[in-house]
Amino acid sequence: MESFFAIGLIIGKLAVVIAILLVLPIPLTWIERKIAGHIQQRLGPMRVGWHGLLQPLADGIKLLTKEDHIPTEADRFLFTLAPIIALVPPFLVFVAIPIGDSVTIFGTEITLYLADMNVGLLYILAVAGIEVYGVIFAGWASNSKYAVLGSLRTCAQMISYEIPMGFSVIGVVMLAHSMSLLDIVEAQAGLWNVVYQPLGFFVFFVAGLAEAQRIPFDLPEAEGDLCAGYHTEYSGIRFSFFMISEYLIVVFLSALIVLLFFGGWHGILIPLPPVVWFLLKLSFFIWVFMWLRFTFPRYRYDQLMSIGWKVLLPLSLANILISGIFML
Amino acid sequence: MVAKVARKVSGWIGWAFFLDLLDGLSLTLSYMFSKTITERYPDDEKWIPFPRYRGHHFLKSNAEGKTNCVACELCSRICPCRCITVVPHEDEDGERHPQVFEIDLGRCLFCGLCEDACPADAIALGRHYEFCDHDSKTLVVGRDALMAMPGKVERGGEVVAARLSTEVGVTVTATGDGEGVDWWRHIRRR
Ligand code: SF4
Ligand code: SF4
Repeated sequence: MESFFAIGLIIGKLAVVIAILLVLPIPLTWIERKIAGHIQQRLGPMRVGWHGLLQPLADGIKLLTKEDHIPTEADRFLFTLAPIIALVPPFLVFVAIPIGDSVTIFGTEITLYLADMNVGLLYILAVAGIEVYGVIFAGWASNSKYAVLGSLRTCAQMISYEIPMGFSVIGVVMLAHSMSLLDIVEAQAGLWNVVYQPLGFFVFFVAGLAEAQRIPFDLPEAEGDLCAGYHTEYSGIRFSFFMISEYLIVVFLSALIVLLFFGGWHGILIPLPPVVWFLLKLSFFIWVFMWLRFTFPRYRYDQLMSIGWKVLLPLSLANILISGIFML
Repeated sequence: MVAKVARKVSGWIGWAFFLDLLDGLSLTLSYMFSKTITERYPDDEKWIPFPRYRGHHFLKSNAEGKTNCVACELCSRICPCRCITVVPHEDEDGERHPQVFEIDLGRCLFCGLCEDACPADAIALGRHYEFCDHDSKTLVVGRDALMAMPGKVERGGEVVAARLSTEVGVTVTATGDGEGVDWWRHIRRR
């Protein structure tokens, strides 16, 4: 009976997480377009529903009813596989992301995470890396020069940014003596890691922007020079898979920044429920990502590479060194 | 020399701390919370054109309600698109007026030459600008319709409250007292 209940609870939580993640891109696209509009002194979507609130639904219907086209020259198997590979890792990552400690509802204690792995951080970085395969396969399978160029850029970008990203979190791991995200958050109960690790946060943030392929590092899908990059040949539902995956990666990176550097669900000054604190910080960072997107132009490709290897990598190594010296 | 070094040093400090990036971010942040300048046409607002605007033609009429036009056909001659057809006739008072006066708006390029050429100050290009149609035949406008068209505006250059109505055709009609607001009011100019 006990174990039956526990399994039911896990399945229930899984269902809730998957449902939320599937629905999340809908409000996010609306918010992104509103932010874009207001930064450019426009109103953004206004005509479908109140202040354009139903616009994402209309877009969704449009995407679903569009022709799902596969180019004749494409590798059909990889072409259909790629969007799925791109979509699954962001979902897998959220297994290890806690949004709070635990809450007690009706006398039962419910933990607000699916799994507390002792290698949580490693798992997250590893699984998030798989998403790149979706992008590479998409570009390769499309058999179109723009798509291939886009995915080649993705490869190079990923290699140069995974490394500083991985190094930049080592400082955090050293402080918490653990790779479990719960322990990392608990270690920040007093003071947030961003105070100890400003350099680590900076490197992680910039590398995260590049990971998410957001402006100013959105070279793989630069509209101006590559049509749309790796998803040039995709349409309809398959294209929307890439879209969903992109938005989820933004959410996941914001969540990771909050967990690693901004104290997770620990609040300051104002006593709010921990989950509310976490969601507030999460939405703040999502907003920052969008704000950056509509402020900066894109970096040139060689600049992108030199920032990765010549600035971020030494900085992240220096960060490890400095943290080590202070820990001694 | 000192000033040059100081400038160089401050430039390096700015580079190291991404001051120019922060500058850009603060600018977009201020824009994000400033008023938008979107003109919500056709839902809520409508642009009233300036007096110089060249819209739909109209024929001016005199005190007796007859048209000023004396059917001299000068406008028809000068029109680069050959879109004005004038057939003169003599009415019961012995005055010369057009029997037929048709403008094919589908061919007109709204150059305003007809307005300049008219010796009787009869034809002019007015304020009306919403007359697209699915059928090019309805774009051929006759004399009486031209006489009923709205003329030029006195002030113009403003945005007034309006409403989109799809009951009879599609029209955007101004609501309220017609007091407009300057569209440029929220635009920063340096
Ligand atoms: S505006 Fe120009 S093109 Fe149009 S009717 Fe007059 S003269 Fe012809
Ligand atoms: S509108 Fe003017 S120019 Fe044209 S026929 Fe009449 S009087 Fe002549």
